Amino acid sequence: MSEPSAPAADQVLDCTGLACPLPVVKTAQAIKNLVPGQVLELLATDPGVEPDMRAWSSRTGNDLLGITKQDDVFRILIRRVN
Amino acid sequence: MWAGDSETKILYVQTHGADDPGRSATPFYLAASAAAMEFEVMIYFTMYGPTLLRKDVVDKIGPKGDQGQPLRYFVEQATSLGVRLLVCQPSLELNDLSLEDLIDGVEVIGGAAFNDLAASSDAVISF
Repeated sequence: MSEPSAPAADQVLDCTGLACPLPVVKTAQAIKNLVPGQVLELLATDPGVEPDMRAWSSRTGNDLLGITKQDDVFRILIRRVN
Repeated sequence: MWAGDSETKILYVQTHGADDPGRSATPFYLAASAAAMEFEVMIYFTMYGPTLLRKDVVDKIGPKGDQGQPLRYFVEQATSLGVRLLVCQPSLELNDLSLEDLIDGVEVIGGAAFNDLAASSDAVISF
């Protein structure tokens, strides 16, 4: 997924080097500290993080704005909805 | 027994105990992931499962033996997200345990409550 102008993140959550289920668990905790409309940027190297965050966003109703990958690092933008 | 806070409810069942550390952590991983997805989650420990919750076991074993995190880390990761831990009395007796031998917060249920939880779950996953 790519988008022409990715929004700036309100908070960055660095989960590089952490394995499943930590990126999901820490994202769930971090998103609660944002107000609706704000954007969380998750950085992760867990190779399963893309399907995991798609499932998590779909189930929790938050907006997955984009996933990019550079070298081994996934950069995932999520907007808090509720 | 489901609080009804979530539309989706998952019940995990752990039958393996402290003598099989490689089978100890995955139910906690999955339960923590499910709770992070805002599901309501419980883990029911039966057969040898309750031995994983012993106060004198959670710091001594982990899924990779002496390497990596102890079991307590995975237990607390799950419970901090709201995962509830359940045992049944016959399984405590099978392993010569009482509730006092287990970490805090474990709830005792019986067969009827288990079956009621299972019948009202969206998924029951057994290990």
